Amino acid sequence: MELRPIRFRCYTEGLPNSLPPYVASMMTRLKRIVRRLTVANLLLLCMGQLTLHAQAQIDFSHEIVPILRKHCAECHSGDNRKGSFSINSRADLLKGSEDGSVVEPGKAESSRFIELLVSNVEGERMPPEGARLEKKEIELLKRWIDGGLNWEQGFVFKAPAYEPPLKPRRPELPPAINGRTHPIDRIIDQHLVSTSIARPAAISDGAFARRASLDLVGMLPESSSLDKFLLDKAPNRRASFIDQLLADDEAYAEHWLTFWNDLLRNDYGGTGFITGGRKQISGWLYNSLITNKPYDQFVRELIAPPTDESRGFIEGIKWRGEVSAGQTNEIQFAQSISQALLGINMKCASCHDSFIDRWKLDEAYGLAAIYASTELEIHRCDKPIGRKAAAKWLFPELGDIDASAKQEDRLRQLAGLMTHPENGRFARTIVNRLWHRMMGHGIVHPTDSMQTEPWSSDLLDMLASDFVEHGYDLKHTLRFIATSAAYQSQSEVLTPDAESRAYRYEGPRAKRLTAEQFVDAVWQLTEAAPTKMDATFVRGKATPQNSTSTELSAKWIWSSDGQAIAHAAGEKRTFRKRFEVPKGLGQAGAVVTCDNTFKLYLNGKKIASSENWEAPVPVRLEGLIEGMNELLVVAENLGSGPNPAGLILEAKIMGKEGSSALDKPPLNIVTDATWEWTDKLPKENGKFAKVPNDWQPAVLVAAQGVWAGVTPKLLAELNRSANISTKMVRAALLKSDPMMRALGRPNRDQIVSMRPNDLTTLEAMELENGNILANTLTVGAENLLKRSWPSQEAFTQWLYRQAFCRLPTKDEQLVARELVGDSLSARGIEDLLWVVIMQPEFQMVR
Amino acid sequence: MEYGNNENKHEIRRDFLKKLAAAGSAALMTGQPQFVRATDDSAANPPAKADACILLWMAGGMAAPDTFDPKRYSPYKNGLEISSMLSTFPAIDTAVDNIKICEGLENIASVMDRATLIRSAVQPDLGSILHSRHQYHWHTGYVPPQTVACPHIGAWIAKVLGPRNPVIPAFINIGQRLEGVGEVEELKAFTTAGFFGSEFGPMNLPFPEEAAQSVRPPKGMDAERFSNRDKMFRRLLDKNPNRDLMSDYQQASMLRSFDNAYRLLSSKEREAFDISLEPKEVLAKYDTGRFGRGCLLARRLIEAGARFVEVTTEYVPFLYWDTHANGHETLAGLHKEMDSPIATLVRDLEERGLLDRTLIVLASEFSRDAIVEGRPGSTASDQATFKVDTVSEMKHYGLHRHFTGGTSVLMFGGGTKKGFLYGETAEERPLLAIKNPVSVMDMHATIMTAMGISPKTQYLVENRPFYVTEDGKGQAVAEVFA
Repeated sequence: MELRPIRFRCYTEGLPNSLPPYVASMMTRLKRIVRRLTVANLLLLCMGQLTLHAQAQIDFSHEIVPILRKHCAECHSGDNRKGSFSINSRADLLKGSEDGSVVEPGKAESSRFIELLVSNVEGERMPPEGARLEKKEIELLKRWIDGGLNWEQGFVFKAPAYEPPLKPRRPELPPAINGRTHPIDRIIDQHLVSTSIARPAAISDGAFARRASLDLVGMLPESSSLDKFLLDKAPNRRASFIDQLLADDEAYAEHWLTFWNDLLRNDYGGTGFITGGRKQISGWLYNSLITNKPYDQFVRELIAPPTDESRGFIEGIKWRGEVSAGQTNEIQFAQSISQALLGINMKCASCHDSFIDRWKLDEAYGLAAIYASTELEIHRCDKPIGRKAAAKWLFPELGDIDASAKQEDRLRQLAGLMTHPENGRFARTIVNRLWHRMMGHGIVHPTDSMQTEPWSSDLLDMLASDFVEHGYDLKHTLRFIATSAAYQSQSEVLTPDAESRAYRYEGPRAKRLTAEQFVDAVWQLTEAAPTKMDATFVRGKATPQNSTSTELSAKWIWSSDGQAIAHAAGEKRTFRKRFEVPKGLGQAGAVVTCDNTFKLYLNGKKIASSENWEAPVPVRLEGLIEGMNELLVVAENLGSGPNPAGLILEAKIMGKEGSSALDKPPLNIVTDATWEWTDKLPKENGKFAKVPNDWQPAVLVAAQGVWAGVTPKLLAELNRSANISTKMVRAALLKSDPMMRALGRPNRDQIVSMRPNDLTTLEAMELENGNILANTLTVGAENLLKRSWPSQEAFTQWLYRQAFCRLPTKDEQLVARELVGDSLSARGIEDLLWVVIMQPEFQMVR
Repeated sequence: MEYGNNENKHEIRRDFLKKLAAAGSAALMTGQPQFVRATDDSAANPPAKADACILLWMAGGMAAPDTFDPKRYSPYKNGLEISSMLSTFPAIDTAVDNIKICEGLENIASVMDRATLIRSAVQPDLGSILHSRHQYHWHTGYVPPQTVACPHIGAWIAKVLGPRNPVIPAFINIGQRLEGVGEVEELKAFTTAGFFGSEFGPMNLPFPEEAAQSVRPPKGMDAERFSNRDKMFRRLLDKNPNRDLMSDYQQASMLRSFDNAYRLLSSKEREAFDISLEPKEVLAKYDTGRFGRGCLLARRLIEAGARFVEVTTEYVPFLYWDTHANGHETLAGLHKEMDSPIATLVRDLEERGLLDRTLIVLASEFSRDAIVEGRPGSTASDQATFKVDTVSEMKHYGLHRHFTGGTSVLMFGGGTKKGFLYGETAEERPLLAIKNPVSVMDMHATIMTAMGISPKTQYLVENRPFYVTEDGKGQAVAEVFA
């Protein structure tokens, strides 16, 4: 393992070693004495330890660097060496000035350095103008010198050699080589020539189909489209195949959800939700992906949310109790938008001026203040420094924030600046991320270190400009990359030293399947996907009929006024609603709950019931007919004494598949004052012994506080019930489980832009004997056995084609036969499935 | 086995480092953390006093006055003033003259002459006291939230020291369900290797009696079929026509992981996971419940070469040590559950000559008190379930509020002193640590030092240093070591 020396340590080391030995031993003794003090001296003890602490340690990075930076660096660091004196590095400092040595370790009193700093002689004093150093600053410097001039290894004051440009740039394209005219290939081919690296060979159609399909929609190619593609002889067949994949909006969205959930740290569960300290943006994100929302608009909606649906990203995660100043929601905002949208790490600067890049505490707080709704006190290393933050943008060249504007206006201004056409860093960051997902290695790498020099700035700048010119169209850039010969070429064969040396482009790098891709692929092979999803949005593209509901139209109803909320325990009511269903309508989802219990009948047939009012029930309205329908609800209030009672139901009735009614809004049936009630009760089968004639209008009940918690659940279940997609449920629509966690799906407490590419032992164990996979394969084998296979060979061929987009070789056939036997059994299929999906060829996108 | 044989131990270590070097490229590729060589001697690793560590986790807030730090005893009576209720169990003698602990822990009392008892552990107040936040702090050394995913203490040890026996996962976590219980997302947030990546993460064994299953072939698969499957997997790999095109390095790394997994699943060592193989009379001493069986499993795993094992009583809101009501009765049960297994664990390890090189640490996220929340003057909001001034029912009798001012930590083995008491809390409320307070950070430094890991050990994450103890500032409590 390479031991790389640290460039700069954020925090001090204890420095007893650099103290004169007698001081150190005295301190150890003193500490021992202090530790033995008891009760009465408790306070003293604390103070004593603090003092000792301060005496014992000089914190170079926090105590010395700021002083030197403030008073000396302007003239004596980087390219500035006034009087031939530089403090840029420890060596520079020791070298001294044109007049010779200025300071020696351990000799503060005799140093010219301190002498000049305390001097009041005009023409000699340092700094020559402005305020003198404070006494305590001088004291710190003296102790630092006496302690041996400790310096953080590798630290220099000079700015880093590379500063990424802000403005966009459209590089001139080099001439095409061998007729490869794709702009990406023109740049890369020339790059390969200049680095004398052989151009990687092209991949086969089968390998291409698998790679493109997994990369663009996260699934193995569908059997029929693969067959068609492999028979296609048209020269543009690969481009058509890519177009076809990207045209599958649902598949595309459900694959890229994974990437965006990681990047925007969104999930269906996680820390913070338990105390209401976190909001999902799942519905908004899904809709944005499925409609391929232009990325500039996408980001504007994230930063300055037009509705609450996209607010979760900027609000971050609120933990109960007190958190450090570096993790307040305002600072989280600064960190999140910097990292996710600009590849800038603002984490260091959230606590103090960063030592690893150019960002300053004030800049982190400037961003945080854009979001802050109250005045924000700047904290340095968790201690207030007595200044308030002013809202400020990172690149004032593009404009700035009006710090006096209202929060929502500030956010809108930030959204505008972030997506400003001249903000080249914004576009470069996202195209680099897409390149990384497609090609296995960033042009800038890691992708969150956008301050790093790209291996080809022409490529990065060209991709970014092209992306902007095409209206910030994410799919366009994916297509642009996928259609290049570079993408369609052989993966690099990595040698163990590949990562310890500087990166050089030798072709795409193989990617490991994400947990979600792996699970989806296994489900594709086995047809063993679950039928329910955890996501609470409506799947598929929003239609006039069916889009994710964000608020309820239904009202709580009962038989009498909601203000008089006391209804007897055991009070039973029958409610009904008659409604006409126009021609063409028929698919319907509904949600219902009742404080406390209900039974629901549709046209005389019981379709749902529940005794837990806190868990609303999603219902498909099976048995709906064109023409007149009747919903009947038998509702009962429980409890030990009089208490509130209420019923709520919302149904969405949509067109039958293929019907023209699909273009019209859905018919919504909701509980309201048009419902009727009676105290007569039907029999268990929903029929009345004697049809009541005393139906009276239902009364709206004022929503009770205790019901408020049910509203989000009602919405979620309404959306779930309205899901009419017949496609396989995807892993990205589910909460993480132990297998997905083992395979690298992260807890989304932090932003994750690149997942680990290696399979670890514990992950391998999960695959070897984990229940989840074992059960899936058992079920899958039964499913597959039910299909009629002419022979074992036919099954093996099918499996290879599905899993690898190629046929098995003769040798592979023989091994399969040895494992499965001549006739197919569930056990044989199960074992072959396992053996196949464990192959690196399956677990990687190559 | 490496005990008493440093040479051998270093062999294993070197082997592990070599492996890491091979795996390193993938790590770099994903921007994974890199070890930072210390720039001065102060960060040099101390000589290891222990090779293995068992953390016995009393999840939910173990009331020190009702366990290891007895105060004035107030027996139950109707009308007892809560303000005068300090301990609800009488003190008993232990094998050490100046140490008394609570009634119900007689077995542990009998091995107190092997123990170091710290009575002055303290925790910060995080405003509103949420168990999982304090547990996160205790297990990672960092108060959440953090800008990076912090590794669990077991992951640190696994990362720095590697496995003791390459077959046995270095970090094993016994007794905590991570599905289907309250605050589970918060538990997952620290039950992880965080930025070290899952290679160093926990092998989770929520039910000790089912641990054997986790290292056996999947249900319904006999050993022959399992090994045949593996054989065919390799055979097929051999026949793969694209082998040469495939990245050799990536493939090798993937296959190595399969090798490791398969080795455990088919090794002799996997019997260590099967507590049913234990003689009946031994099992009986441990079998007080899930926790007791977990202690037995821990012993077997340590014998087989595990590096770090946590055994928890399990955190489930309002259960076990999370006593917001019925404290006394609940603790009487917990005493029974922990007393014999812990004492037996200590004696068993001692008998096998393993105690000297195995550090056992018993700890909890904070203590409890009957009327103080957090500590005096804190801003912690009161989370008492009910507030009464006098005891009128048994359910009022016990310590029902969170207290962060003085918590007990019990240690055995691993080079700690025997029969040693460190720190002290006040005799009267508030029961604050009045002597030698030990912070979470210093507690970590102490454990790491015992394991031979410098508290200043650091890794570069996202280009900045991240230390095993907060900012590298943890100071081991030197006095607890013999």
